[in-house]
Amino acid sequence: MPTIRTIDPVTRLEGHLKINVTIDTVNGKQQVTEAKATGTLFRGFEQILAGRDPSDAPHITQRVCGVCPVSHGMAAVMTLDACAKTPAPANARILRNLVLGSNYVQSHILHFYHLALMDFVEGPDMPPWKPSWGADKRITGAAAAKLVGNYVAALDMRRKAHEMGAIFGGRLPHPPTFIPGGITAVPKATAIAQFTTYLAELTAFIKNVYIPDVEAVAAAYPDYSTIGRGTGNLLAFGVFDQDATGSTKLLRSGVALAGSTTIKALSVPAITENVTSSWYVGAAQDLPPAQGDTTPVYPKSGAYSWLKAPRYSGAPYEAGPLARMWINGDYRKGISVTDRHRARAAEALKVATAMKTWLGQIKVGQPVYTQYQMPSSASGYGLTEAPRGALGHWATLSGGKISRYQIITPTCWNASPRDLSGKRGPMEQALIGTPISNINEPNEVLRVIHSYDPCLSCAVHVMRPDEDKKLFAVALPHAL
Amino acid sequence: MQINRRDFVRYCSASAAALGLSATELGALEEAMANPAAPTVLWLEGAGCSGCSVSLLNRISPTGPTTAGDLLINSVNLAYHPTLMSASGELAVAAANRAYTAGGYVLVVEGAVPTKFGGETCVAWTYTDSSGIVREETFQAAVKRLASRAAAVVSVGNCASFGGMSAAPPNPTGAVSVATATGKPTINVAGCPPHPDWMIWTFVQLLTGKLVSTDTKGRPTGVYSRTVHSRCPRRETDETGQFGRDGYCLEELGCRGPETVAPCPVTFWNNGVNWCIGANAPCIGCTEPSFPQSPLMGGDD
Repeated sequence: MPTIRTIDPVTRLEGHLKINVTIDTVNGKQQVTEAKATGTLFRGFEQILAGRDPSDAPHITQRVCGVCPVSHGMAAVMTLDACAKTPAPANARILRNLVLGSNYVQSHILHFYHLALMDFVEGPDMPPWKPSWGADKRITGAAAAKLVGNYVAALDMRRKAHEMGAIFGGRLPHPPTFIPGGITAVPKATAIAQFTTYLAELTAFIKNVYIPDVEAVAAAYPDYSTIGRGTGNLLAFGVFDQDATGSTKLLRSGVALAGSTTIKALSVPAITENVTSSWYVGAAQDLPPAQGDTTPVYPKSGAYSWLKAPRYSGAPYEAGPLARMWINGDYRKGISVTDRHRARAAEALKVATAMKTWLGQIKVGQPVYTQYQMPSSASGYGLTEAPRGALGHWATLSGGKISRYQIITPTCWNASPRDLSGKRGPMEQALIGTPISNINEPNEVLRVIHSYDPCLSCAVHVMRPDEDKKLFAVALPHAL
Repeated sequence: MQINRRDFVRYCSASAAALGLSATELGALEEAMANPAAPTVLWLEGAGCSGCSVSLLNRISPTGPTTAGDLLINSVNLAYHPTLMSASGELAVAAANRAYTAGGYVLVVEGAVPTKFGGETCVAWTYTDSSGIVREETFQAAVKRLASRAAAVVSVGNCASFGGMSAAPPNPTGAVSVATATGKPTINVAGCPPHPDWMIWTFVQLLTGKLVSTDTKGRPTGVYSRTVHSRCPRRETDETGQFGRDGYCLEELGCRGPETVAPCPVTFWNNGVNWCIGANAPCIGCTEPSFPQSPLMGGDD
């Protein structure tokens, strides 16, 4: 007898997410047989940006997400620099990367210890650890106490990562220094030394605490190295430009179909969207995002999400640290819940290690900013990566103002609903077959969801409401 | 968990001047912290970005592992916090509703309250009613309900305080402040995000049973008393009209410090590492109800 369970809110993530799962016994094993992911919050950033001064974009888009604001700031300045066809000077590229790298370290530590760990560990009898579902918590006693202690230590470490980022970011979250043409912060030897000190402590924490703790969880949950595979399709826009054109990156762009180790080049025109299961009026077939505005409608038969279903060559793709590390050739052990945690931790170390090199490339006294006249009419885009996956901004300027602005976020890919052919989104697909030990305490579902580090505020962000007709006219990502 | 209330009090002692705490207040705080019946706090997130919560986590004691997390873990009974709490689904909703039934809690709200379409653009949670019917409660309904039995309502950040970024033109979701949505006055810890010290100062006042006096915008006067410019270390320096130059007054670049009330030049940010103007970035006025102005930086107006 199948049982439908609704988990709302799914806590320990950014934004509002509801999950519906159907649980049934198949071949003597109680497991998830169906899953639907629903975003339950709208804000409307592209609308807010329309008509504004282009230089507002980095500040405004950072407020999409308090966990990954730097990535939005980075995407926005890349977009505006592209509109002006003027790259930022080398120092600015390096300093922007250092602030972004600081937030990667912060976000990955926060995700493992403060968002995901409670799914695996029996915590102390106090908030925020309790109340909680006790089912299948295999880490108890001294091992649990150690991880709980590291939860506290990690609070300190993620704070220090933000302090490190503030050296060239001004403050975190929502750093004010990212501007078109460069960065406002001017590097000095003392600041570089201060940064170096923070980085050494954080690198040691990643090596000596974070990575071993991920391994400890993986060892206690060996079955999770096969649970939660999802589609196996991986996509990355690439991040951390190593030259002025971005042709070389620390983590390259690319796509891998069904866990293939043959990496294909990313083709932006291969990105389409489908609204079959979304509360939008629109054609049933896959459409290039550039096809223009669509009109959402609520309610709509068969629809269950405000997220559209982005697809790459018609297929759902996973974005995130595992996708990046796989595509870059740094991590190819597998695709699963624990592989996502392992790849994320390995990426934290890779980024931290690279940051040390970048610090040595700063040229004190050289410019951090190229002054340019923002073209009155132009278009451009910036492709980068948030800690949780591929992020793109697209802008059109006219009359010296932003006339159109679009954002495609990682959680758009990961938490997307079914498309026309009935293919589930990656997170939905990953839930299918997940064993459930206690139907009233489906911790297993949370483990799969949290492994993607979802960010729902980022995923659904545009709405143009028409109150009389109860219709929403939306400009979700397009204009590639 | 090896964190305790004494660490928090030690932090407050070390930072008493910056926080504006007197010795008497510190004593009262210590007494409150020793109380096993810690006050219950419900922290709701509406139409926002979680940036206020992330900023709160950046709180630090100069002497120990103590963070703002310690305050919320050890010094208060944090019955509900969607980003931090272990419980999901009905278990989480039940925790909030237990506090609601008991009443007298401190309600902290992060994020604005969308009102268009009956508030359906922001759903707080799903619950099963007494007839066994599964329903959704909108954030608007949840905030109104939970505010009705709260001892105090604190709005953290500009979205909850004034509508903020979530209510920026054309305000697609009809987002309003918590005070507007509930009809109850709120203590507004303004900022996008607010500095952790500003939030903790306000929580400390409430924990110790103090009345918090506010300005006409609902901001605690103990935190928000003077403009950024009036205490800016660069106010007497030469101005620059170009970005990327170190040490200049940024008024010509549209700095909103002269019209923005906030203690940034005193508290700085991120454990004193830096602040916006310290990194040559003009103030964008993020503690004012007018934020986010268009353009964010002045100059055209």
